[in-house]
Amino acid sequence: MRPARLALGILMSWGAVLHAQETHGDLRHLHGVVESAATGRPVRDAEVVVTWTAARAAGSTSARAATARQRTDGHGRFDLRDLPAQLVTLRVRALGYAPSVGDVDLRGADRLLTVHLEVATTVLQEVAVRADTARERLARVAATSTLDAAALAATRGQTLGETIKNLPGVAVVQFGPSIAKPVIRGLNSQRVLVMNGGLRQEDQQWGTEHAPNIDSFEANAVTVVRGAATVLYGPDALGGVVKVDHAAVPDTGHLRGDVALNAFSNSRQGALSIGVEGADLSLPSLGRTGYRLRVTTRAAGNGAAPDYYLSNTGFRELNGSLALGVARDWGRAELSLSRFSTELGVLRQAHVGNANDLQRAMTTEPRDSAFSYAIGRPNQRVAHTTMRARLLRQLPRDGQLDVVYGLQFNHRREYDNHGPLRFRNEPAFNLKLFTNSLDVRYTHARWRGWRGTIGSSAIAQGNQTLGKAFLIPGFDLWQGAVYAQEELAVGRLSVMAGIRGDAISQATIAFADAGIRSPAGTKAWRNGSGSVGAAYLLRDGLDVSVRVARAWRPPTVNERYAQGVHHGTAQYELGDASLGAEVSQGMEGAVRYRGRALQLEAAAYSNAVDRFIYLRPTAPVQTIRGAFPGFAYAQTDARLRGVELATSWSPHARVQLLANGTLVRGTNRVDGDPLFDMPADRATMSARWLGDAASRGRWYLGAGTLLVRQQDGVPSGTVYTLPTAGYALLHLEAGTTGARLLGRRADVSLTVNNALDTRYRDYLSRYRLFVNDAGRDVVFRVTMPF
Amino acid sequence: MPKFTSRHPFTLGAAFGTAALLLAACGDSSTAPGGESEVISRVTLTLTPSNGGAALTTYIDDSDGNGPTAPSAQVAIPALARNVMYTGTVKFENRLKSPAEDITAEVSAEANEHRVFYTVTGTGVTVTTTDVDGSNRPLGLRFTKAVGATATAGSTRVVLCHYDGAPKTAAATSCTGETDIDIAFAYTIAP
Repeated sequence: MRPARLALGILMSWGAVLHAQETHGDLRHLHGVVESAATGRPVRDAEVVVTWTAARAAGSTSARAATARQRTDGHGRFDLRDLPAQLVTLRVRALGYAPSVGDVDLRGADRLLTVHLEVATTVLQEVAVRADTARERLARVAATSTLDAAALAATRGQTLGETIKNLPGVAVVQFGPSIAKPVIRGLNSQRVLVMNGGLRQEDQQWGTEHAPNIDSFEANAVTVVRGAATVLYGPDALGGVVKVDHAAVPDTGHLRGDVALNAFSNSRQGALSIGVEGADLSLPSLGRTGYRLRVTTRAAGNGAAPDYYLSNTGFRELNGSLALGVARDWGRAELSLSRFSTELGVLRQAHVGNANDLQRAMTTEPRDSAFSYAIGRPNQRVAHTTMRARLLRQLPRDGQLDVVYGLQFNHRREYDNHGPLRFRNEPAFNLKLFTNSLDVRYTHARWRGWRGTIGSSAIAQGNQTLGKAFLIPGFDLWQGAVYAQEELAVGRLSVMAGIRGDAISQATIAFADAGIRSPAGTKAWRNGSGSVGAAYLLRDGLDVSVRVARAWRPPTVNERYAQGVHHGTAQYELGDASLGAEVSQGMEGAVRYRGRALQLEAAAYSNAVDRFIYLRPTAPVQTIRGAFPGFAYAQTDARLRGVELATSWSPHARVQLLANGTLVRGTNRVDGDPLFDMPADRATMSARWLGDAASRGRWYLGAGTLLVRQQDGVPSGTVYTLPTAGYALLHLEAGTTGARLLGRRADVSLTVNNALDTRYRDYLSRYRLFVNDAGRDVVFRVTMPF
Repeated sequence: MPKFTSRHPFTLGAAFGTAALLLAACGDSSTAPGGESEVISRVTLTLTPSNGGAALTTYIDDSDGNGPTAPSAQVAIPALARNVMYTGTVKFENRLKSPAEDITAEVSAEANEHRVFYTVTGTGVTVTTTDVDGSNRPLGLRFTKAVGATATAGSTRVVLCHYDGAPKTAAATSCTGETDIDIAFAYTIAP
């Protein structure tokens, strides 16, 4: 939602100037209190931003905008010093309140103000006030895109991957409707880190069929950082980061909540999410405590391609979370517990015994199956439990200490098509991953234009490999890191540099039966990451940035020790324990324009990844079951290049036109071949017609298209004939926020995906060898606050 | 590691870090796959001549089951006599376990979900399945092998097919389910 510029005195009342203070030459002092207009209570953690037109720099002809910002403390106070003696604009935003804007005259004297905020009538659409200052600064030189709560509302009920797949530079590896893994600039899985509420999501992300175990209804904003972000996030962020932010636990107000209901026609999916929150809980020895409770359930049957159902592609999901938080003078502390659990089917045709079966499955027409909610074999059952404790200490002059401790338990069970009678209900793969992580991040006070963060990160992880079959060995992983990132703003130029050192130790546990031999081994890596970037404001709203980054990543346990058949592709995958770390050196440049009607962001990058770890086709593996195409993890030197474009244009106040485009080229520098599994070139274009009516709320009507070009970069060693054709999909949408429904305010939307029921197979769809992707899907969403 | 003074927040971090590392022990890491997946490490064919005489037994081992090591060479390549009818049986075993596990019994118990296909290369030899499952569809654990007067040396490919989602049909001549075994046995013709 855009903070509307609202008239003085309606949503914000400016307290009388209590007293004029002595002036200090040309510098002024603006301080005061932010209060809730409804209750008169102070509003903590409100973002107070003062902007003014700075004096012209010597030699420059144009004026520039300057900003000072601060958050209110536990008593709602703010205190901004060293402001110019002129007319400034004051903006105040806080979660749950309508933003307010007003002008303040500092020409004559310092000011003391009381700002009253109206409780927002559209709490759900409120953009989160971001507490992560490090991210804000990263955004200036690194390519990022954020989906705020309003944008997320349009994709609710879907997987995290589906939610972000139309952002520039992003694609998904998809296993039907239930599994979607984010791909950022051509990289996925162990190269893309997912941060969930400030915590690294450790859910065995190395497997492409292991989707992020996140309840998308918990997300208040999702930010995608494209390109290496290893300085702040560690080696797994070599390709990029998907940050899922949760709203802070409320610290004002009584019990309130929302209920969201989604219905999807394609898989006859229903999703229901109920959340309640408030800050009127009084706990012994803690005092006033904020709380939030959310329960989400989703259930879907077989997805439907235009001509047939995709057998066994349904899923069931049940998630719950409870968060408690206290906000005091010293800052805030939050404790949350959440559990995500899902059971999902894997397309039956995609599970094959050997290469002949695969050939047959690929060449025969997909069997039509009846619609069913039943989940048969093969299937996955995954549960992810998280305990998160976070302490956020506000320090003077915008300093901050952020401590996050997380305990995560990921339990993944995968069931095969069949097995010995006695063990039919034993999972083929049964992996338990325990992760402890502690992140301490200290953002120091602003000092002469310097602003920076130093931090440390520690991870202790243990894996148990149970189940019937060997996939990866059990292991222990220890990881420690220290990092620092500083930003210096000098006039129009902002320079940022960061450095990080990591030490990682991986100890695998020996396993040997008559068939499989996997040795014990301890290996440690030490390496550093760094990045340097600069952004320059050419003129109001137009800036350019460049960045160079070095990132590295040690091989994961599956890359070193995998041994076995991947039933979806009949690939026999073999790890290599002697693999070394891969190192990426990249540069990128971006241009951003933020005008009144036109917003544009273009980015281009080139990353050289030395000793890039990939699956190299080898001689077929012969077993008593028949032959399997062999693939071994190997290293080569690779290069990834690409361009991304995102534009938004409003030629009229009621018309919005959007266009995004993404191109990725992955090359094996040793033999000049393209890299496998690179997303095809894609563009999205859409148009929206907006309006506002008292009874219907703020409504919109829109249509859009996704255009995907043929993937002509397929490496020569590929065993299968992959569908690489391009396709075009039509998408329609209509919706409103703030309409009256059954006497209540509600947000309602209707979306039609693949409106023409187009038959297509995406190059990154893992079911592409067997079936078409999903056909027309009519989605109805309603969200109602109470 | 940089040195920090005791008042620095990193001290706190270090303390928390130590606690976190200690807690890691709660997830006692291990590698203990049950080894109970459907592994077949030996396939044995037994051919009993109908005109009397000793049965011929031949087998192929795969020392690592589904592992990457290729199956070993066929042991005791049978020399078949012309103009003789053999009654045959096939046996699937997991000899990686001790004692060895007879998978044939499982195949028999789940007859409706299994079928063994035999494909012969070389002329003059015909394999015919002689047993059926509960729905009167061919099973293939028992068969006859007729060796004609003009028979030449060749091989018999044995495919154990598992039907799960795919329907098992009596008329099928090749596996349309999931392949559990796919291995070829050579034979010679006795002079």
